Amino acid sequence: MKELKILAVIVILVLIGYLGIEPLAHGIMHKHVEEAIKKYNLPDFKFSDLDPLPSGITGNAEAGKQAVQQFCVSCHSLKKEGINAPMPPQAAAQSFGVVPPDLSNIGGILDKKYLYNFLKNPQKATENPKFAMPALGLSDQQIMDIIAYLKSIAKKDMNGEDVVKEGCVRCHSIKYQKISALSPPDTMKKYLGKVPPDLSVIYKAKGEEYLNAFINKPQAIIPGTGMPRVGLSQEAQEKAIAYLDRISDPHKEQRQKVGLIVLGYLLVMVGLTFAWKKKIWRNIH
Amino acid sequence: MEKKGGFIEWLDRRLAITAVWRIMMSEYYLPKNINFLWSFGVLTMLVFAILVVSGIFLLMYYKPDAKLAFDSVNKTIMMDVAFGWVFRHTHAVAASIMFLVLYIHIARGMYYGSYKAPREVVWITGFLLFVLMSATAFTGYLLPWGQMSYWAAQTITTLFEKIPFIGPDLVIWIRGNYIVADATLTRFFALHVVFLPLLLIVVTAIHLYAVRIVGSNNEDGIPMTKEEKKVKGIPFWPVFMAKEYFVMSVFLLFFFYLVFFNYDFAMDPINFQPANILQTPPHIYPEWYFLAYYEVLRGFFFSQNLGLIAFVASMFIILFMPWLDKSPIVSGKHRPLYKIAFWVFILDFLFLTILGKLPPTGLFAWLGFVGSIVFFLFFAALPIISKIEKSQVERAGR
Repeated sequence: MKELKILAVIVILVLIGYLGIEPLAHGIMHKHVEEAIKKYNLPDFKFSDLDPLPSGITGNAEAGKQAVQQFCVSCHSLKKEGINAPMPPQAAAQSFGVVPPDLSNIGGILDKKYLYNFLKNPQKATENPKFAMPALGLSDQQIMDIIAYLKSIAKKDMNGEDVVKEGCVRCHSIKYQKISALSPPDTMKKYLGKVPPDLSVIYKAKGEEYLNAFINKPQAIIPGTGMPRVGLSQEAQEKAIAYLDRISDPHKEQRQKVGLIVLGYLLVMVGLTFAWKKKIWRNIH
Repeated sequence: MEKKGGFIEWLDRRLAITAVWRIMMSEYYLPKNINFLWSFGVLTMLVFAILVVSGIFLLMYYKPDAKLAFDSVNKTIMMDVAFGWVFRHTHAVAASIMFLVLYIHIARGMYYGSYKAPREVVWITGFLLFVLMSATAFTGYLLPWGQMSYWAAQTITTLFEKIPFIGPDLVIWIRGNYIVADATLTRFFALHVVFLPLLLIVVTAIHLYAVRIVGSNNEDGIPMTKEEKKVKGIPFWPVFMAKEYFVMSVFLLFFFYLVFFNYDFAMDPINFQPANILQTPPHIYPEWYFLAYYEVLRGFFFSQNLGLIAFVASMFIILFMPWLDKSPIVSGKHRPLYKIAFWVFILDFLFLTILGKLPPTGLFAWLGFVGSIVFFLFFAALPIISKIEKSQVERAGR
């Protein structure tokens, strides 16, 4: 069985090469990512670095509605309630860098604790010192009211596509899904330093682990990045990433099905060719 | 097949096909003492055929234009065309596996001394095929126009700058622009889909023809005489091919497992980001099959010029093996010293390949240097080993 020995040598050498080129090199080149994930325990859906929710204060959605109309709609639209943005998107992007988000469904995708911290101090919560929205000096009661209101009006059971449309496409395009970013590229470039990447096949480029960490805490992965922490809740982020996976690889099921058929066919081939070889070689040796 | 007055006879009178069939297949005798490593030559042809067929299908939808290339691959072929993804994955995996099969084929030739007289022409044409295949792989890698496509092409073409006198002009001539750009993409496309495959086919024909003339080597490196051939040899068809088909089926099982369930290794994640002239990726490296040579280039980290010379030498030195190694013993099976040198070389090649992807800093830089030196020591040792063996043979003969 000299031939099997030769095969074993080849298999071992190929495996050593493969393990060296793929996992080992990956581990060394992406060390800073692994380290950041470990250090901050990413994805950290508890947002441990932020202040806890104020205890003993429950939000009142009715009061929240008043507060939103008082404090928010001078920049934001709230289409669900028939409130349009005071500025056309182009003009808003010119002044803020990006188009301010519509608030109709924002309560459905953001984590509650994050949202509280965000309304208190947007720059700190997003970890982006240049973040366009200012702190409004709201009281804890007002903030909790606003959160209660935004959560009450947000669409229930949002799917991955909804989450991505609410949370990402203000800045990111998804060309292969015919979705363009709401903000124009040139103002974003000024505001963020570069035009944010297209998300069509970003899942293939970055992979699940990276995206899960990066979306959760961008500054930990790329210090100085223009991407703010958006504070997606665990549920919303998982749905968003599953969606990005699906659109980057739409033929996954077909591939697995066809793959099994092809391998089955080849197994039969191996049997047949082995039998033929045996037959031809019977009288040789 | 010789039915009197049939179509075959009609054709035979005009094309002499039965004579060709005899020379190429049914009366081309191989020695019996060969193992399945001798199947890898035909395997390279199989992989080449797979590359051509999958390539033609890709060609029907691919757009060689810097503005369209990335989307034509990642959207049109991968998402819109029915089963387009099969052809893309097959093509990418086959390109990678081609080099695995090729390296095993070459290593077999090295171990059993298949490069020695009278098989020098087989060795030279084989080397040419390796160079042409490398050029095909390199030009093909630019076509998806991803980040690594772009920056690998940019880095490698920059190397030509160091050639004395004509370097800087040559780089611009190759790129068709001051940087890798649309002009580079279209000319690489032309080379990849027409010129290089044509040359590959021509040189393959010469390679196969040359093997028919000098015959296959074997494990012991002792050729069969003309009389022995018919008695002791096995005809290429059907005996050798009967085994070959079995090896092929097993190979295809492995190959299509990779295509459907483990294709990632052939597609760098960074290449799913479109080429961006303004953003250099933190790590630039070639595909795995060039990593060893790339590491030799970086191994001489203290001198760019020396590294470049070593890089070129590392790719071409293997061509001179028939003249570096003039030992009268052909097969490594009967050459204890050569055997040691061979395995050190193989492990060193593997070592350089792994190191080639790691960042060239600190300890890695020095390891790369040591690995590169060992690479060349193998070739330097060949004349010495053959001298020792020559005197051993002479003493034994006396």
